[in-house]
Amino acid sequence: MSASDVLIEPTSHGVNILKSAAPILVGIALAVGIQFLLPSTVGPYYSRLVIDAGIAMILAVSLNIVNGMTGQFSIGHAGFMTIGAYTAGSITFYSSLLIWGTAAKHGSFLGSGEWMFVIACLCGGITASIAGFVVGLPSLRLRGDYLAIVTLGFGEILRVLLQQTGKVVDNAEIVRNAPLTTFATVPVGGAIGFDGIPKYTTLFWVYAFLAITVIFAYRLKRSSFGRAMLSVREDEIAAQAMGINTSRQKLLAFITAAFFAGVGGGLLAHESGVIISPKDAGFQRSFDYVIMTVLGGRGSITGVMLAAILLSGLPEVLRDFERYRIIIYAALLIFMMLSRPQGLFGIHEIWDFFPRSWKTLPWKKSPREEAQ
Amino acid sequence: MNQVLEHRSAGAAQQTLLEVKDLGISFGGLKAVQNFNLTLPSAGLYGLIGPNGAGKTTVFNLLTGIYQPQTGSLSLNGKNLLGCKPHEVTAAGIARTFQNIRLFPNLSILDNVRLAGQIRIRPKLVSTFLRTNGYREQEAALKAQAMDLLEIFDLQDRAEDLAQNLSYGHQRRLEIIRALATKPSVLLLDEPAAGLNPQEKLALAQSIRQIRDRFEVAILLIEHDMQLVMDICERIVVLDHGVTICEGTPQTVQNDEKVIAAYLGAIADDA
Ligand SMILES: Nc1ncnc2c1ncn2[C@@H]1O[C@H](COP(=O)(O)OP(=O)(O)O)[C@@H](O)[C@H]1O
Ligand SMILES: [Mg+2]
Repeated sequence: MSASDVLIEPTSHGVNILKSAAPILVGIALAVGIQFLLPSTVGPYYSRLVIDAGIAMILAVSLNIVNGMTGQFSIGHAGFMTIGAYTAGSITFYSSLLIWGTAAKHGSFLGSGEWMFVIACLCGGITASIAGFVVGLPSLRLRGDYLAIVTLGFGEILRVLLQQTGKVVDNAEIVRNAPLTTFATVPVGGAIGFDGIPKYTTLFWVYAFLAITVIFAYRLKRSSFGRAMLSVREDEIAAQAMGINTSRQKLLAFITAAFFAGVGGGLLAHESGVIISPKDAGFQRSFDYVIMTVLGGRGSITGVMLAAILLSGLPEVLRDFERYRIIIYAALLIFMMLSRPQGLFGIHEIWDFFPRSWKTLPWKKSPREEAQ
Repeated sequence: MNQVLEHRSAGAAQQTLLEVKDLGISFGGLKAVQNFNLTLPSAGLYGLIGPNGAGKTTVFNLLTGIYQPQTGSLSLNGKNLLGCKPHEVTAAGIARTFQNIRLFPNLSILDNVRLAGQIRIRPKLVSTFLRTNGYREQEAALKAQAMDLLEIFDLQDRAEDLAQNLSYGHQRRLEIIRALATKPSVLLLDEPAAGLNPQEKLALAQSIRQIRDRFEVAILLIEHDMQLVMDICERIVVLDHGVTICEGTPQTVQNDEKVIAAYLGAIADDA
């Protein structure tokens, strides 16, 4: 009997909706748990490291969509992040001034200020994804090194442009009465950075956004979109011959990756102790994320997450050697390329390494059974 | 049932499916293909032969939009395909295999086939993220179709293995399955028997015929194994240095002096 002769298993719609929603709900519940349990157990210093690791994971997992899954080589990811950071930061900063007369934090957990911040982060993501579209366009014609140079150039151009911006206007009265020409200078702080953004970023929001990013990336990878992206990575000519519009897939990869990078940027901009500045758009930060994706493995979401945790913790361990960080990274990368060129997990996810008996949970079926 | 099918393919055989006129391309000074003509009826099984470097693969690349022809015209079912991108050509109904196997090595066998099957669906990003019921149904249908195909070719038990872990012969088979998954009306096979042993070749000859009948596709076959081509092809086009030197039934081609000369020449060149 052939597989499609049998009707597809009539699981109830309700069960499916639950299956689809559960990971998202679990992720958000975990974020709540982290928010309320972590600071009291490990203290503010380590909480901050956990926030940094969370943001790094958002950036690395999103870059992995372009570099790992689609096989393009972008080294301008920090540029998208910075666009998100400045967009989100300006929205909360200037809206707060206009609405509440001060740019200070407003409201408590899930209060009005936090919702403004969430919307600002999403706007940051949207602006970044528009930039992703524009930067992705040349990727349709360029490959390999040439694409790398274009994306690198994008980050550097952005850095220089941000240095030319005007001073932050931090007085509510002036902002209210300012002529539009004041805003033509783009008052986001110029070379010294954008100071005064309200510090809304908490463990909860970082990990809630991380959960969404990871679930999105995973579901993308396992879908028709993901297969199409992977096929571009594997063999572009064959992908085209199988009917894949490879240009579309590459653009889509750039747009979605940039979106989450922009959201991550929004989180970074509102993290306490952080002042975003033009140099965040530069190649050093982009390079950090590229290393995470290379270290983690091509397209491996869990591998890249692990690499992001390790590498965002590394500077803390190497505190006294800050000046040599780039050298240590480079050495690490060379070592990695020689000893394990496919990255920590290669093309696999972490659970591919578990024994088989762990994986075949009672409610999971083999693909054969599932299709019947 | 069988009679109906036979009747249908006999009736369909009159109908021109792929129409190629004066197709040509040169690379620099090299005229790789000149004035290539072909009229492939639906469910036809034609061969394309010629010595190494004759331009056979280039013809496939021209037909599938990988190279843009510099001269000539190309249509499928009366629809012009000139200027179409490779994925548009595939969507229009021409699928191919590659002389040097081009599977997706790090994807599973199931995914290799499923990917080709998704050509006719338009997934949405939001429903992919939310895994809506519509999305689940679409994906389940894709998977079932792919498993069906794998079952026909007896690869269903290896569905989860990576394509790169298949034996050479199985990889060649998977390339054909993957091409069929796009539901083509014309199938272009580029040296599918290369590297196979005599038994495998025999089995392949059988299955090429069966594929034609079962999937109702027209097949254009590039092959070096003369025996195989002469056995299964209805008509044969012979290329040499990009020029069509002969076209006709296997008997005609076998006895054509130019063809014999071209092949003897090729052997003399090699020696
Ligand atoms: N992209 C290309 N650029 C330059 N020359 C090419 C290209 N593709 C094919 N050729 C040349 O065209 C001729 C025909 O090649 P091909 O079609 O691969 O021959 P075959 O009949 O063995 O498949 C060869 O001389 C080859 O070198
Ligand atoms: Mg060839």
